[in-house]
Amino acid sequence: MTAESTTSAATAETIRHELLGFLAERIKTTVEPEQDLFSSGLVSSMFAMQLVVHLEEAYDIAIVGPDLKLDSFRTVESMTALVLRLKDADDPAGDA
Amino acid sequence: MPEPLADERAFLGELIGDRAGAWDLAGELPLDLLHKAGARGLLCAQVPASFGGLGATSQDNGEFTAYAGSLDSSLRSIMTSQGIVAYTVQRFGDRAQRRHYLAELTSGKLAGVGFSEPGAGSDLSSMETSIEPDGDGFVVNGEKKWLTGARYADYLLILGRNGDAAAAAMIPVDSPGLEIDLVADPMGCRAAGHANVRFTGIRLPASAVLGGGGQSLPMLFTTALSYGRMSIAWGCAGIIRACLQAAGTHTRNRTQGGVALAEHQLVRRHLAELLIAEQTSTRICEHASRSWDSGSPDMAVMAVLAKHTSAGHAAGSAATAVQLLGSAGAQDGHVVARAYRDAKLMELIEGSNEICQLILAEHALSITG
Repeated sequence: MTAESTTSAATAETIRHELLGFLAERIKTTVEPEQDLFSSGLVSSMFAMQLVVHLEEAYDIAIVGPDLKLDSFRTVESMTALVLRLKDADDPAGDA
Repeated sequence: MPEPLADERAFLGELIGDRAGAWDLAGELPLDLLHKAGARGLLCAQVPASFGGLGATSQDNGEFTAYAGSLDSSLRSIMTSQGIVAYTVQRFGDRAQRRHYLAELTSGKLAGVGFSEPGAGSDLSSMETSIEPDGDGFVVNGEKKWLTGARYADYLLILGRNGDAAAAAMIPVDSPGLEIDLVADPMGCRAAGHANVRFTGIRLPASAVLGGGGQSLPMLFTTALSYGRMSIAWGCAGIIRACLQAAGTHTRNRTQGGVALAEHQLVRRHLAELLIAEQTSTRICEHASRSWDSGSPDMAVMAVLAKHTSAGHAAGSAATAVQLLGSAGAQDGHVVARAYRDAKLMELIEGSNEICQLILAEHALSITG
């Protein structure tokens, strides 16, 4: 869906924008970039996993091991930082 | 094109032979058989080759799981547990943990997994087991119910609270403070080695807690359960295939008053329904596996849909098969008698029918305006 448009030249701005759109579509709620999605009860158990798989697919990254911590997914900002870090990593944790 | 995992299928078929009925009656699987199957990577066939596994797709492992389920749901449920543990390690373990545990899980070591507690089944928020930092390592306290395969396991993967987050720990079964009480006379999957387990101040090195802990509880549960749901869904397709086979053979060959049972229209309706159940379940499992193999964000929901559909069809098909076989199948150990008891359990575990319906209803609301 969004993979083609975002794999190349993703910046913090484009990732943040895409994630806010994805969230609005999936949980039918407009969220703020700094809003805690987990403590606010917006993220169901199904959606928690959808988020991970979506980020992996859309940005061609593998999110595994210590990167799967709750803190990486709390907000749109923290997910944006996670995506940028994993895209920049020379040796992603996922292909060990 | 050769059938994927064809050699593995033949190997497993030979290991099981015609002994599943006897294992059901005895309530125990031969441990050496589990070690042999484990050492060939059959119990968690989706582990990537780079970690020593067979690297099967969800689709190929699914067909393999259905084959196991058609022969013996106790052994298939051991596969489900081992696969959940391997997948959880693969996702949440750090580099060293993935390498260490996945090598063990594909070379004969066995693992069970614990979700439910006395006061917390599907309601995650009431989970009480804790995995908390303690010096250089962690300490585990709590209780889990109905761990499949605990009787045979070398490790138990336990999910628990970790501060305001969650963690998953690989607990060696010889850890001081671990008590394993076998469930007496389980109604189904009788040889799967279910047990209730208690943890009292179990000390673990930091290397036993996947990724160092601090995960989201829903994310951890859903990831682990999703693999389990896929495995159960395919295993149920296998149960239905065994029922269809037994019913077809019996009604063609059994005559009453000189007429084969299969000549009766009411019997034929049952046969049609068995075929419909088998095809419906297989196709929905294939769909969920495609979602899984393509990394679709809907994979977790599709796993619930497949598990719920297949388990319901398996329970119905097993009842139909017992009905058609009559006294020929109404004896414990018989393939349809096992199916009848085993399939009912599949409507309870890894999300009961009702929990699956709640998840699917939530999904229905999320995709409608």
